[in-house]
Amino acid sequence: MTVELPPGLALQKVDERIMTLNVGPQHPGSGHMRIIVQIDGDYIVACDPDPGYVHRGEEKMAEYRNYITNIPHLERPVIHDSCNALYPYVLGVEDLLGIEVTERAKYVRVICSELNRCIYTMYWLAIYGIFLGHSTMFMWPAGDRELLIDLMEKISGARVTHSHFVPGGVRNDLPPNFEEVCLRQVNYFEKRIKEYAAVFYDNPILISRTQDTGVLSREDAIRLGTTGSVLRASGVDYDLRQKEPYDVYEELDVHTNVMKEGDSYARSKVPWLDMMESCNIIRQALQKMPKSGSVRVKLKPNPKGKGLDSVYKRVESGRGSLGCYIVSDGKVEPYRLKLSVGSFRNLIALPYLLKGEKLGNMPSVYWSLNYWPVEADR
Amino acid sequence: MTNTATGIIRALNSGIKHIATKRFTLRYPEEKLKFVGDGYQFDPSTGVGIAGLKGRHMLFHDHCTGCQLCSIACEGVAEAIAMVKVPDQQQQNKKSIMPQIDYGKCVFCGLCVDACPFYALYMTNDYELSSFSKEGLIYTPAQLAVKPYVEQDSEIIITKWGATHG
Ligand code: SF4
Ligand code: SF4
Repeated sequence: MTVELPPGLALQKVDERIMTLNVGPQHPGSGHMRIIVQIDGDYIVACDPDPGYVHRGEEKMAEYRNYITNIPHLERPVIHDSCNALYPYVLGVEDLLGIEVTERAKYVRVICSELNRCIYTMYWLAIYGIFLGHSTMFMWPAGDRELLIDLMEKISGARVTHSHFVPGGVRNDLPPNFEEVCLRQVNYFEKRIKEYAAVFYDNPILISRTQDTGVLSREDAIRLGTTGSVLRASGVDYDLRQKEPYDVYEELDVHTNVMKEGDSYARSKVPWLDMMESCNIIRQALQKMPKSGSVRVKLKPNPKGKGLDSVYKRVESGRGSLGCYIVSDGKVEPYRLKLSVGSFRNLIALPYLLKGEKLGNMPSVYWSLNYWPVEADR
Repeated sequence: MTNTATGIIRALNSGIKHIATKRFTLRYPEEKLKFVGDGYQFDPSTGVGIAGLKGRHMLFHDHCTGCQLCSIACEGVAEAIAMVKVPDQQQQNKKSIMPQIDYGKCVFCGLCVDACPFYALYMTNDYELSSFSKEGLIYTPAQLAVKPYVEQDSEIIITKWGATHG
């Protein structure tokens, strides 16, 4: 009797040259996932990413909670980017319930979202640094993101999972004196990240390790459906904040950072350039924001959707496009909720990028995909 | 080759500068971060919250009516709130039940504060809730009524020598 085993579990025929190696799921360099690589000497011949170790059933869970109590758990997939993780859901629910948000609330959301993008990117940069053996690049971003976490803590009262966005606006207004503190800390933050150029991005050791490794061509980037910084590093100028502006992004001047090379170096540099752009957007938003006004529309206690209806909204998160599809059947809970996340879409590129690379280049290619395991598994 | 050498020297140099800059690390628990306000509060009349840290809750016994709305709000989040009988007789609280919060489950989202229509439940700046037992994390209505003593005064200061906590 033969039993069909799933592909990941099937025993591999032992080859004289090819060795199968499991990287993860307990390996710190893989995140919460397993990468099955087959190596011939020092070269990778095949690679099979195996996500799913931190699947939490977020989408199913959302069907049992109402539109408000869905907020805390939907931001859990990426706690560092929790405002952006919640953004498409909140936009979608507003559409379903027919809520018009006030101008000031939209600006507050944009500021929170940009702060969160930087907080996430700094965390990612710290991990990227440490896995390339650059421990200064772990310490500096981990310290400097404190400046922005402090701002988010002043706004929302929590350091990581803010639960700040709600259908109808944001939970509370900015604290008094916030504009001044925000401007000071964001300016200093920008000055600090510019210093990373000398120590990291212009560092010949980094360049020699990342340049020309894992090259993703423009055509492949589009064909594989990658998104966010991976797509922009391959020369495709696509940023949802610019192409499909939501909330008040169309009133703000958003520049995108595009690099043509498509290698690990470009993929690691684009998020860093994006952070400077985020600082610009925050400064613009602080200037253009209405100085007073309500930030939250009062809703009925248990808001319901209007009959059978569905909506799809997407935003540009720290890892690329993040979409949320909600179906409502007129009850207090969503009938179905589906998340389309940037991490998962970027992971698809990994087997193509690693083929023919040296095993030592795996961390630099893998982390350059701006990948967050927990988000990919939802 | 010279390019590589200058690049490495530049990288080292930018790090060496940091010997002279101030330390950014917060020396907890000697120093504690200062927060805005007295904690997250909510004004049911306008439907907007007041910025502040989402820390341990504070329950005002003279406002709580035992309406259970906070407990219902938490049901979909963490099921951290249980309604328990209290010995003190309050005029507005006929059933004499008040929320008891299990901080082993609470995720500090503050949705219960948003749900309370009687200005009875707020959050405070107290975040040091560790305990040696699971039971120690369950705060009874009497414990929640105590205003926490917090001494937090450290802020981020930015000078031309860099940022520091002071
Ligand atoms: S803060 Fe959130 S998790 Fe904690 S008791 Fe209130 S509703 Fe429940
Ligand atoms: S704290 Fe507020 S919501 Fe909870 S039972 Fe008391 S009055 Fe009702």
